[in-house]
Amino acid sequence: MKHLPKHLRPRWRYLAVGIESWPDTAVGRSEFQRHLWYAAQNLFGDAASADLDLTVIGFELDDGCGYAIVRTRRDEVDRARAAVACLDGIDGQELGLRVRGVSGTVRACEEKYLGADPEAPDQRTVTFEGGERTAVVRDGRYDVTVDSAFAGATELDFE
Amino acid sequence: MYEAVHARPDGASTVSRLARTASEYGFSGLVVRNHGDSRHDADLDRVRDRYDIDIVNGVEVRADDPSRASGYVGNYRPERTVVCVHGGSNRMNRFAVEQSAVDVLAHPMDGGDFNHVLAKEAARNGVRVEFSLARVLRVEGGRRVQAIQDLRKLRELVDHYDVPFVVTGDARSHLHLRAPRELRAVGEAVGFTGEQIDAGLAEWGRLADRNRDRQSDAFVEPGVRRGEYEGSGLDDGSGD
Repeated sequence: MKHLPKHLRPRWRYLAVGIESWPDTAVGRSEFQRHLWYAAQNLFGDAASADLDLTVIGFELDDGCGYAIVRTRRDEVDRARAAVACLDGIDGQELGLRVRGVSGTVRACEEKYLGADPEAPDQRTVTFEGGERTAVVRDGRYDVTVDSAFAGATELDFE
Repeated sequence: MYEAVHARPDGASTVSRLARTASEYGFSGLVVRNHGDSRHDADLDRVRDRYDIDIVNGVEVRADDPSRASGYVGNYRPERTVVCVHGGSNRMNRFAVEQSAVDVLAHPMDGGDFNHVLAKEAARNGVRVEFSLARVLRVEGGRRVQAIQDLRKLRELVDHYDVPFVVTGDARSHLHLRAPRELRAVGEAVGFTGEQIDAGLAEWGRLADRNRDRQSDAFVEPGVRRGEYEGSGLDDGSGD
């Protein structure tokens, strides 16, 4: 179909969302999208979540660190932020989400808020809570395996 | 903006990891309030210096009956900056709002109830009531609906009787933390004003400052301080 004249097209805003998780979390773009819709629907209901029109444009999550670019309508940024904040996990895999910034174009969003690629993680054996344990280490953050779960720590805990 | 958290072994992350994430998220302070029976082993001063965020040494007193809780509050009061009481049963809610030694009544609606009598007592004794967004952020379905109803009831009482209050996301790991603007947006979605959320987050900082001042050596009682004139004699002979 012929696309709309410029003054009738919706005005979009793009949320740069930083994602943190435990290192074994495996989530794809489509799952993230689906659960983001659920989060908006659960918080605001069908009518308002249609207004929010949340669309995941970019998504990446590897070894507990990643980002998403979420599109919403210009005048709905605050409610979109609330919906993102209420997405606490997917199928029992916890996610830590934070809106790093909001831009008017995808490109500005990437350049301003989603800069350098995170450094590659490193496997190490550490002494934590009185035992030898394996940890996934990235940039001073330690995710330590403790009894089939993870514990969040930093370099400060091992100095 | 301050946030109050439970660190390992109460939660999944250490104090330093919570502090690092909170600092990145734009909080200026973090109240560590592990339950009295699960202490953390972090060196708060080192964490404070490393991650450039104020760390407040707090505790959340958890007890089954008021008489035992009263003992714990007395023990912790001199050594901790912020003393909270684990609310959620009617007896403990009642106990907490009657003690001016208690700073914060934590999550009063989580299993318990709150009413006008307690609200008046809390306002009289200066006990802050906590609005915990934990169940709005991390629970689904009917329990979440109930949590939002509870928050509304509590908010109406707090508004009417002018009860001091604090707001938290009550994080137990760095993944639970949400930035101040996100908490504000969620608060607005469930009926708070943005200003209420900001005030509730800032209140932790004011509380910590007040209590640190009270614990300092110069403090005698409200309005009375030991100043630099002590020991200089009543009249040094210099006229005016």
